[in-house]
Amino acid sequence: MATERELSDFLKSVEKRAFKRSVYHVRDEEAALDIVQESMMKLAEHYGDKPAAEFPMLFQRILSNCTLDWFRRQKTRNALFSNLSDFESASDDGDFDLLETYAALEGSQQSESAEDASRRAEVLREIEAQVKALPPRQREAFLMRYWEDMDVAETAAAMGCSEGSVKTHCSRAVQALSKALKAKGLQP
Amino acid sequence: MKDVSTLALAQARQDQFGRRVAARLDTAAAELPRDITERLRAAREQALARRKAPALQPTRTVSAAGNGQAALRGPDRIRLWQRVALALPLVALVAGLVAIQVVQDDRRAREVAEVDADLLTDDLPPAAYADPGFVQFLKSSL
Repeated sequence: MATERELSDFLKSVEKRAFKRSVYHVRDEEAALDIVQESMMKLAEHYGDKPAAEFPMLFQRILSNCTLDWFRRQKTRNALFSNLSDFESASDDGDFDLLETYAALEGSQQSESAEDASRRAEVLREIEAQVKALPPRQREAFLMRYWEDMDVAETAAAMGCSEGSVKTHCSRAVQALSKALKAKGLQP
Repeated sequence: MKDVSTLALAQARQDQFGRRVAARLDTAAAELPRDITERLRAAREQALARRKAPALQPTRTVSAAGNGQAALRGPDRIRLWQRVALALPLVALVAGLVAIQVVQDDRRAREVAEVDADLLTDDLPPAAYADPGFVQFLKSSL
């Protein structure tokens, strides 16, 4: 049984990332705040008595569902959410080689320490833009896997899909991000 | 064997790239405007206020008093009073219905008694109402 302090600490540790993730998904700060608040409420109200170790998985699941609910409500409200490009799978990049790309990026890592603040801000802006541009499932898998530091099995359970799908989504997301950043001459 | 190691290397590089992007995103999350962080804090506090409390273990204790009496304490005692409180309106309803019935019976008995008293104290003997001739006289005179 988690104490109130444990729940509070957990929410504190995830709230900012959850907000940013929601912003990447819904592209609206007000809506993202509503989604995070609703997710926190649901976790506390329905699962507040669960062991603290179960909070991360439960919260990710609730956050995903709340985000999905928001899209459903938007769809029924004004039928504006019809951007089919969001559902398209990533294009096949037959000639793209991640190893080559990443090796090239790695070679210039030494100069990163010399980047000024504006350069870092530019990189961050570009990364955020590219993350937003990812197809929803790829973005969700990528952020859960690497930002929330969940393993493949946990990500698959939270997304309700197979581990193979998670690996595919993550791989495609990394390729897309890597390619986009390389095209702009940036590195993460 | 070479393919396996190549795949593992690719996976490692993919993971490394993912973590580097995640580290960048961490800085974005850390630099959220104050109004957003305050609203997140308020949302967190609101959620904590609605937290589902862990289920309490029933603490049924029977304390024996010095003179041998035992009293229930804890949730059972509260539950007993809750039941009594719930039953009160029902008891009041039944008592009200019984009182109405008693009053109505009493009133009906009094009305019948008044009719009987009028008949018995009347100049005309009650046996006259059983006489067919008198009944005929009453009908014809009305």
